Amino acid sequence: MSMAALKGDTAFQARSLFRSLLRQSSQFAAYNFREYARRRARDAFREHRAEQEEGRVKELLQKGVKELQVMKRQTVVSQFFQLDRLVVEGGKSGKQTGERNDIIRQTTE
Amino acid sequence: MIRAAILHNVRCISRIALRPQSLASRTVTPCFSAPSAIYTPSKLPQSARWYSAPAGLSKPEVEGRIMDLLKGFDKVTDQAKVSGTSHFSNDLGLDSLDTVEVVMAIEEEFSIEIPDKEADAIHSIDKAVEYILSQPDAH
Repeated sequence: MSMAALKGDTAFQARSLFRSLLRQSSQFAAYNFREYARRRARDAFREHRAEQEEGRVKELLQKGVKELQVMKRQTVVSQFFQLDRLVVEGGKSGKQTGERNDIIRQTTE
Repeated sequence: MIRAAILHNVRCISRIALRPQSLASRTVTPCFSAPSAIYTPSKLPQSARWYSAPAGLSKPEVEGRIMDLLKGFDKVTDQAKVSGTSHFSNDLGLDSLDTVEVVMAIEEEFSIEIPDKEADAIHSIDKAVEYILSQPDAH
């Protein structure tokens, strides 16, 4: 009973951490960093999804919390150095138009 | 005398202008019954501006948007199984990490933020629809 409760608790913690990491990763100003952080969080959680050993799970969760702290600092720094948005992002400053071979980069306000 | 009356009226009007919605108070305001009232108050402009009104999402719309979102999710292999009552893990074969991602995508779609506890309780499309409908600031 208590074991199951504990397990449910760590599962909840893991989901919560995953959510926080994803949420924080979307705060990066630069597209490449943003996508990398998201991909890295997803891959790391998938990699250890079947982890059973309690000590190891705790250790990984600790590591995740640490990474989250790093990411919090880095997202703040990244907000200071904003570049134009890339074409792949669409949205504010760049947009692809035209057919396949005549890609025009245009600025839309 | 006339100056005093004007001042009195102006004061009354400014008091009304501060709360144009209170119709009742306007009718009982005594200052307009003063004998030297120069002009009768014209109807104050009543602009109904509900900037903060909820967007008023309808249930089919929310359901459709969530279903489209799930159909576009790369882990959902069988799109025919996506229906209004699908369970994320039982029907669509998503694990708990995918569920977290789906809920995050729903948050983004409706531009709200779902707190951890509530996000953890969303396991199926109808639960998600129910939650979104209960949120006044979802749009």
